[in-house]
Amino acid sequence: MRRHAVLWSMVVLAVAMVTPFVIVALNAVKTPEEYSSGGPLRLPEGVSLDGIIAFWDRVDYGEKLLNSAVISGSVAVLAVVVSVFNAYALGIGRVRGRLWVLVVFLTANTLPQEALVYPLYYIANEVGLYDTKLSVIIVFTAIQSAFGTYLLTSTLSGFPRELLDAARIDGATKWQALVRVVVPISRPTLGVLFVFFFIWTWNEFFLPLVLLISNENQTVPVALGVLQGQRLMDATMTSASALLGVVPAIAFFLIFQRALTRGITVGAVK
Amino acid sequence: MPKRLLVAAVAALLAVTGCGASDEPSDNTFTLWHFEGPDSAMGVAWAEAIKQFEASHPGVKVVFEEKGFEQTQKTGALVLNSKDAPDLMEYPKGNATAGLLSKQGLLTDLSDEVAERGWDKKLGPGIDTTARYDERGVMGSGKWFGIPNYAEYITVYYNKDMFDRQGLALPTTLDELTAAMDRFVAAGITPLATAGQEYPAQQVLYQLALTKADRGWVDRFQRYTGQVDFHDAAWTYGATTFAEWVRKGYVSKDSAGLKAEDMGLAFMQGKHPIMVSGTWWYGRVRAQVKDFAWVSARWPGMTAGSSGNMWVVPKGAKNKQFAYDFIDITLSPAVQDKLRDAGGVAVAPGAAPAADPATRQLNDDYQALRDGDRLAFYPDWPVPGYYDVQVSAVQKLITGDADPKQVLDELAGPYREHVASLGG
Repeated sequence: MRRHAVLWSMVVLAVAMVTPFVIVALNAVKTPEEYSSGGPLRLPEGVSLDGIIAFWDRVDYGEKLLNSAVISGSVAVLAVVVSVFNAYALGIGRVRGRLWVLVVFLTANTLPQEALVYPLYYIANEVGLYDTKLSVIIVFTAIQSAFGTYLLTSTLSGFPRELLDAARIDGATKWQALVRVVVPISRPTLGVLFVFFFIWTWNEFFLPLVLLISNENQTVPVALGVLQGQRLMDATMTSASALLGVVPAIAFFLIFQRALTRGITVGAVK
Repeated sequence: MPKRLLVAAVAALLAVTGCGASDEPSDNTFTLWHFEGPDSAMGVAWAEAIKQFEASHPGVKVVFEEKGFEQTQKTGALVLNSKDAPDLMEYPKGNATAGLLSKQGLLTDLSDEVAERGWDKKLGPGIDTTARYDERGVMGSGKWFGIPNYAEYITVYYNKDMFDRQGLALPTTLDELTAAMDRFVAAGITPLATAGQEYPAQQVLYQLALTKADRGWVDRFQRYTGQVDFHDAAWTYGATTFAEWVRKGYVSKDSAGLKAEDMGLAFMQGKHPIMVSGTWWYGRVRAQVKDFAWVSARWPGMTAGSSGNMWVVPKGAKNKQFAYDFIDITLSPAVQDKLRDAGGVAVAPGAAPAADPATRQLNDDYQALRDGDRLAFYPDWPVPGYYDVQVSAVQKLITGDADPKQVLDELAGPYREHVASLGG
């Protein structure tokens, strides 16, 4: 009986989570006329891919996908690398005042991006990086690794000391201890961070909107914003674009899903 | 694994920086940004203008980028302040947008070009209010900072089939409109489609107030030319009549929570016979309503409306000459007629009237409004952030949480504060 209750509440939850996606998918394959006469909830009479194709052509979606992949991929890799270095120093190296360093990182994490945007714009403009992907990569590497440092530091402060001692006795330098011992053992955790950084950066809207001005540099979420008119919206095309926008993130999640589950269960190792 | 990742990262970075540096604009490039969809009247007309520009400027490369409205609105000032500014861009009109940019010195003064090329004569009087800004960034006088290309105004959309079924003629006065709405209510139909969560409801209230207003009233309210009394005859009439419309069931109480899109859909699905909203709906209604006959008709009296969004030339534009040439082309009869035939309101059409009678009606109504000096802008314009104040005040009127007097008080507060901050 209890099991059934759990099962049913899970079913309800799953339906609640999936419904918005279903509605988006339904409207993405409608024609604008169908949408106007039947509203958002009626089933489409046939599958019309015009909205999806028109949107793809209108914003040159392939280019946006590539931009997003380059930016998110670079950020995910760089932020993991920076986080590992920081966390090694803070979690294992026991730097003096590390608690305060962590507090600063955490506080920086809670700052709203709106507060950062003007200084970032100003600096980017001054150093000539405004409207380049590099500026966004640098900014998000810093933002994501602030969180990564915080998380990894707490993981690494519980790192088995015996392993480090053994490595030192075998003559390993600090660098070798990091690369040969710490990183391989924390790999599942790093994998999780990588996946999260990728998806978070992929979904970022506001800073890329401000920093990437020309269309050839834009990311997927910014390209979706093109459809938002001043007073009118094109519901079917917006749905089509939303569908195209989430598919890559979902695909990426599915591919790296195993890394995620491994990372979450890794704490259970004896 | 991490090593491989590192290599990938470095490679990615190199690729990024490599392609970032390659696009220095040359002297023969004309960069143009606007935020109209490719199927909208403006999108269609301006695509034609680009073609004509390319024909008359051989060797010049036109780089056109379609932007989002939100992107333009949020990042306009930042872009204009950088070296990546385009040569010409579409920008929202009004004190809080183009006016602010002009005050910050980010826009080129177009007055000389206007005089030389006769743009002011093409546009005619009245429409230039939103194109000119003084040193405070207040519209209506001073230098030219923008050139409008189309106009928009509030109009009344009627579902003709529903009127026929009730045996009603299309109303031409407010009294006839009220009588018609009574008939619909008696037949169990809510006559007026509107939406309280966005601009439509506040514009209806403003339209009602405007029936008792004149040019001086509008100027005092919009351009701060004199004292504004929110409890004068016009405002009081607007608010009390709106409240009465709600009480009599002309407007559904549920509409307080609806968005503009919901209003448009409800009208296009034939749920309500009347919609009072902007000409920006025209193209969509024309393209998507297949099941019933409909018409657009002028609102009796002064009417909310203005020029559309404008061309502005950034201060840092590299090829301003191209920008001026392009503006000139968009004001030519050929391009303006194209805009009109695609369902837009042209500001400088050619001599021949539109072939389609409905489009002709739409444009003739505009000419009548302009010639009668009856364009009254929009109720949320005078104060930055006034839009949300209006939304919440009018919502309370729909739900009955406030009486007309309280609602007008709510509108008066922020207005007085803003005018005081301008220093007279």
